[in-house]
Amino acid sequence: MGFIDWKFLIDTFFVALSGVPVALLVTVISLLIAVPFGFFLALSRIYEIPVLNSFAKLYISFVRGTPIIIQIFVLYATIPLLLNGLFEKYEIDYPIYEINPLWYAFIIFSFNTTAVLIEVFRSALQTVSKGQIEAAHSVGLTTWQAYRRIIIPQALVAAMPNLCTATINLIKATSLGYAISLQEITLKAKVEANFGYNYLEAYLDIFIVYLLICIAVEYLFKWYEKRLSRYQLRLV
Amino acid sequence: MLEIKNVHKTFGKNEILKGVDLTIDKGDVVVILGPSGSGKTTLLRCINFLERADEGTASFDTIQVDLHNASKKDILAIRKKTAFVFQNYNLFNNKTALENVAEGLYIGRGLKKEEALKISKEALNRVGLAEKYDAYPSQLSGGQQQRVGIARAVALNPDIILFDEPTSALDPELVGEVLTVMKDIAREGTTMLVVTHEMSFARDVANRVIFMDGGNVVEEGTPHEIFVQPKEERTKRFLQRVLPDDYSYHI
Repeated sequence: MGFIDWKFLIDTFFVALSGVPVALLVTVISLLIAVPFGFFLALSRIYEIPVLNSFAKLYISFVRGTPIIIQIFVLYATIPLLLNGLFEKYEIDYPIYEINPLWYAFIIFSFNTTAVLIEVFRSALQTVSKGQIEAAHSVGLTTWQAYRRIIIPQALVAAMPNLCTATINLIKATSLGYAISLQEITLKAKVEANFGYNYLEAYLDIFIVYLLICIAVEYLFKWYEKRLSRYQLRLV
Repeated sequence: MLEIKNVHKTFGKNEILKGVDLTIDKGDVVVILGPSGSGKTTLLRCINFLERADEGTASFDTIQVDLHNASKKDILAIRKKTAFVFQNYNLFNNKTALENVAEGLYIGRGLKKEEALKISKEALNRVGLAEKYDAYPSQLSGGQQQRVGIARAVALNPDIILFDEPTSALDPELVGEVLTVMKDIAREGTTMLVVTHEMSFARDVANRVIFMDGGNVVEEGTPHEIFVQPKEERTKRFLQRVLPDDYSYHI
């Protein structure tokens, strides 16, 4: 395979690796923001709370029906405009166009992940039978206590496979961050490749880095799911 | 002790309860009989607020509540005086047998953990499950699960235990073990309101039998009065259907 520059391949692998912390940071922060909002909106959907339910439905259709890259462009273009108007009104002197793209990434990916998680949580909560909350009520637990101790632990087990998929999709989606100059894996490797047109090597490196992260995350989720579902009877 | 008055409940266009009255004294074992759809289960669920009645009142010793618009505080107060045994057991799937029983004591009643566990172990021993403290519901048979369900109710030491067809979901050979446990706790003086199709339990254990049909209480009396000398035509017809032909000779 003479057409591959092995030294470049190996050097760039470490450059790509140096983007991992940013990719993981964006993933973790987005999940931390999206989990509570997603859960809350999932409940609004289940209990059909008037305004929130319609809002959630619209929100989900919007996010599901548009490519992430377009969402990124739209939010990246509109947020500064909104902020600009706000800052001018309150006479805040802050260079809007120097905001670290990391902040945009947090907003964009939480926005996207929340929509995904609403449906993940909704379907998971609906797998827990109504009898569970009735039993909890009958022994004197409040609804909140019932959710915390009985419903959520069971729903979480059901949610794990989808949660894993959502997390992996999110990690992979952070590669689109290169479009807003986020210093993550894809951007770093591409920049390296620009010097000598070693794109093939750079892409291979990116490929391997994502693959390694995603395999690790998948194992982590599998291990945790096993731990959480100890109470279930194993049929096989 | 418990007095229920004028309970109405409608699901959609179906009027399930059409003004039911019920009085239960301490130590009573009351069995509610009736064809399916007669509103027995709904009545039980309304007492424990698992279903919100459209109308009706309940007075429980000193607590007086409107069954339709009771406050959260009232509901919790009533639920602390009652316990419920479900047709499908409804054990907490993510908890062991012991944790299932302890949950209501520890979280619901705020007992100390050691005390809750001690009471729970005693309750499980009473229903013959001393060996199964650490088993999850998925590892128990239906009969064992329902006995845990009964232990969960008994452990709370409620003023009354409501049983909603506790043996209906069980395989026939498992019914006996559950009925035996129910008989035991009835003999110990527990106040019980039982919806069941087990005529032998009604005959042998109950001190009062209520026959419901079409959302009304049709007839009420001692087991002897209901089974041997029913007054109402509807009661007679129902008993003819559910009792074996030679049943009357047994009594």
